[in-house]
Amino acid sequence: MFIYQITGGSKVCGVGATPSLVHCRINKHCCSLFATDRPKLAENYTEDTWLKLRDAVGAIQNSTSIKYNLEELYQAVENLCSYKVSPTLYKQLRQVCEDHVQAQIHQFREYPFFCTQHCQEKSLDNLSFLKRMNRCWQDHCRQTIMIRSIFLFLDRTYVLQNSLLPSIWDTGLELFRTHIVSDSAVQKRTVEGILEQIELERNGETVDRSLLRSLLGMLSDLQVYKDSFEERFLTETNRLYAAEGQRLMQERDVPEYLHHVSRRLEEENDRIVSYLDQSTQKPLISCVEKQLLGEHMTAILQKGLSTLLDENRVTELALLYQLFSKVKGGLPTLLQFWRDYIKSFGGEIVCTPEKDKDMVQELLDFKDKMDNVAQTCFARNESFINAMKEAFETFINKRPNKPAELIAKYVDSKLRAGNKEATEEELERILDKIMIIFRFIHGKDVFEAFYKKDLAKRLLVGKSASVDAEKSMLSKLKHECGAAFTSKLEGMFKDMELSKDIMIQFKQYMQNQSEPSNIELTVNILTMGYWPSYTPMEVHLPPEMVKLQEVFKLFYLGKHSGRKLQWQPTLGHAVLKAEFKEGKKELQVSLFQTLVLLMFNEGEEFSMEEIRTATGIEEGELRRTLQSLACGKARVLNKNPRGKDVEDGDRFNFNNDFKHKLFRIKINQIQMKETVEEQVSTTERVFQDRQYQIDAAVVRIMKMRKTLSHNLLVSELYNQLKFPVKPGDLKKRIESLIDRDYMERDKETPNQYHYVA
Amino acid sequence: MPVKKRKLPDAGDHEHRCKLSSLSRPHIRPVKPVGAVRSFSGKRCLTWFHEYAGPGTVVGPEAMAKFCEDVGVEPENVLMLVLAWHLEAANMGFFTRDEWLRGMTVLQCDCTERLQSKLDYLRSELNDAAAFKNIYRYAFDFSRDKNQRVLDMDTAKSMLDLLLGRTWPLFPVFHRFLESKYKGLNKDQWYNVLEFSRTINPDLSNYDEDGAWPVLLDEFVEWRKSCSAS
Repeated sequence: MFIYQITGGSKVCGVGATPSLVHCRINKHCCSLFATDRPKLAENYTEDTWLKLRDAVGAIQNSTSIKYNLEELYQAVENLCSYKVSPTLYKQLRQVCEDHVQAQIHQFREYPFFCTQHCQEKSLDNLSFLKRMNRCWQDHCRQTIMIRSIFLFLDRTYVLQNSLLPSIWDTGLELFRTHIVSDSAVQKRTVEGILEQIELERNGETVDRSLLRSLLGMLSDLQVYKDSFEERFLTETNRLYAAEGQRLMQERDVPEYLHHVSRRLEEENDRIVSYLDQSTQKPLISCVEKQLLGEHMTAILQKGLSTLLDENRVTELALLYQLFSKVKGGLPTLLQFWRDYIKSFGGEIVCTPEKDKDMVQELLDFKDKMDNVAQTCFARNESFINAMKEAFETFINKRPNKPAELIAKYVDSKLRAGNKEATEEELERILDKIMIIFRFIHGKDVFEAFYKKDLAKRLLVGKSASVDAEKSMLSKLKHECGAAFTSKLEGMFKDMELSKDIMIQFKQYMQNQSEPSNIELTVNILTMGYWPSYTPMEVHLPPEMVKLQEVFKLFYLGKHSGRKLQWQPTLGHAVLKAEFKEGKKELQVSLFQTLVLLMFNEGEEFSMEEIRTATGIEEGELRRTLQSLACGKARVLNKNPRGKDVEDGDRFNFNNDFKHKLFRIKINQIQMKETVEEQVSTTERVFQDRQYQIDAAVVRIMKMRKTLSHNLLVSELYNQLKFPVKPGDLKKRIESLIDRDYMERDKETPNQYHYVA
Repeated sequence: MPVKKRKLPDAGDHEHRCKLSSLSRPHIRPVKPVGAVRSFSGKRCLTWFHEYAGPGTVVGPEAMAKFCEDVGVEPENVLMLVLAWHLEAANMGFFTRDEWLRGMTVLQCDCTERLQSKLDYLRSELNDAAAFKNIYRYAFDFSRDKNQRVLDMDTAKSMLDLLLGRTWPLFPVFHRFLESKYKGLNKDQWYNVLEFSRTINPDLSNYDEDGAWPVLLDEFVEWRKSCSAS
């Protein structure tokens, strides 16, 4: 048994009821009705009740007040239903509603259709059309709800039982759709009106969003949204943004364009939230992305990427990345342009000989900049980072040998004493960054040759800033290239340590000597093979020095009998006590400078030729030495005639008037400088060494294989050799080996080689 | 040395004499058809040698010139090269006694006339690919100064002219190229020039720079291509 309860007002709550047993209360009478025994209704009851209901519906539809009280009406429906009048009732209700809805169309058909002169007016017309449509729809909905609440019982009983029958609400929708919205002219005008509003809004005007929301909701509820609206909307959107994309790409620069695109996307998303149906979001956004970005990917990058990167515009680059990641093929295209940019910009840094002295610093700065972009703008995307590495490796090796040499020099400048720029941590960081660049270089043997040479100078002339920094750099190299690479360098350090120990022993030895010397001698013993090779030079040392050297030699060979010592005058340096008119000074000079200056203890003036004969110093070296003493900052000698360069007939004399604010003056910087000849000879030695390595590799391979075709030999060599080679170089070595009878060509097949035992 | 005239035995004494002869000394009776050639004689060959070498053991350049005149072939003629090859002569312009004897024996020549009759045969050897290759290769060591490993450029050019001048279309171009920076050719390069002339098209279309050709030939091709381009 279920009970209906009618509360005050027209609010009704009920539960689905079985009509067989109902306890109901009509206004005045109260009776229980049982299935078996139903009192007959008054004959006109059905008719009268229907009339009442019809009136009520009419009042609702016309927005006039209802004569009857809602409870009453509700009850009436219930009564009718219990008397199996439901089908008729349903049909009649439907008819009434249909009649009403059908009548609504006229207001829209009559609406002025012809174009007025001013677009403004036309829009207004369209706008008022929309408003009218909206009002009609709102009214319809409201009315249907009210009608339904009266006929709720019917809805919940008869209608539910007959699954084929639409509910009252659905009927209302169906009617509205059939008679209003499906009318092609009306639909067209509605949709066009909506589209026009949207276009206005896209052009920056304010429109009534709630109106649009309501109308689009209507289309949605009526299930015509997709067919009648969405398709056209997307087509229009496509057209609009295609044109906009083309136009703005021409008019705006890239950063502005990107911001504009970003704004548009925001706007469209907002539109979805505000009034468009959720289902439109995906196609809408992808349409905008395609037209504003997808079509112009290459153009955007070509036009603007270089500038953005040059000027380090991180915000725009991040925006660019973000936008491109949404579009199909966006990131791969960006990646390619990114790689090309790095290759070209980097290639310029490396391949401009005039800018060589800044190359390394520029490379470091460039790497930093690109790292930053990859991190902050490209979200540390792996493939971007890898592309960057690839690009670096490519451009750095475009110019063989020079970058390696310059990096070695750069490290030298950082490790030298007097480099007060960086703290320890900063230096560490710089060296780490250098290693990263170093890793990209093929042909690391060039680096090693120069690094070794510079390291030797630093160690021997005492110019190394910090042993810790040196050791740190060494371990980085070892980590990067393996122990074989650094073994000689480590040997050099060891030699320095051993030399210190030997000097301690030597000092003790000297104390026990009968003839103490007034010259303090320090010797560094260099193991041949670890250190760079120095051309031996014979110079004429003063007898005191010679004697001292002999003493040391005796001492040393006493300890290490099997060894041979060779003095290297180029590396020696000394401290001279000098007396000028102004007072005493101490001069820190190279050995060659020493020999020259000592001459002036014996005479007033000498020609260059005389000095050469007396000292035995080779001419080029002598010129440099004299230049450093007579033409540099600290002129302890005078040159006649005056001038910057040392010419053949020049004569030199002691500069008694020499003045300097310091007591101890360094004049031996020339030892640290690298001459052009040095640089050339170092490079050549590397190439010479490479030739030996190629020869050794060829012989090794041929010995193992006995017979090999040219192509196979070449590819095997490429596998084995650690530095870059050109096929022409390999051929030359092969020919040389053939000429020296290490191998021969096959008599019949000239591109086959045989090993000659 | 005057030629000894052999005495023919009397017809009457024939039987008797023959018996004695056959016991004591083998008697070689040459068969003599009408207008026949007598067989090769080592002695005669040596005599012939000494006509030019005099009492010495070597035919030198001057004697060589006379020799060529007698034979009727210019000294620069390629046939002389072929002859030298047969003789395995070590040095251009010289034949030693041993070389002469050994080589002429092979050729079965012991006098000028016989050699002259062999000239066509020698000429034909130039057309045989295998023989020519050997002659060509021989030419390197033959014309080289024995103190050097390399054949000097002038000699190389004239030898190449001799051997390839008529048969290789690119020879004039190559000749011009050689005037540039090379001072001489080594054995490997010499051998490869022949290969090149035999296998590479005159328009150089089938030349492979990455192949095993010596760098000299790579440079030749490059030079040639840049010349025709300009």
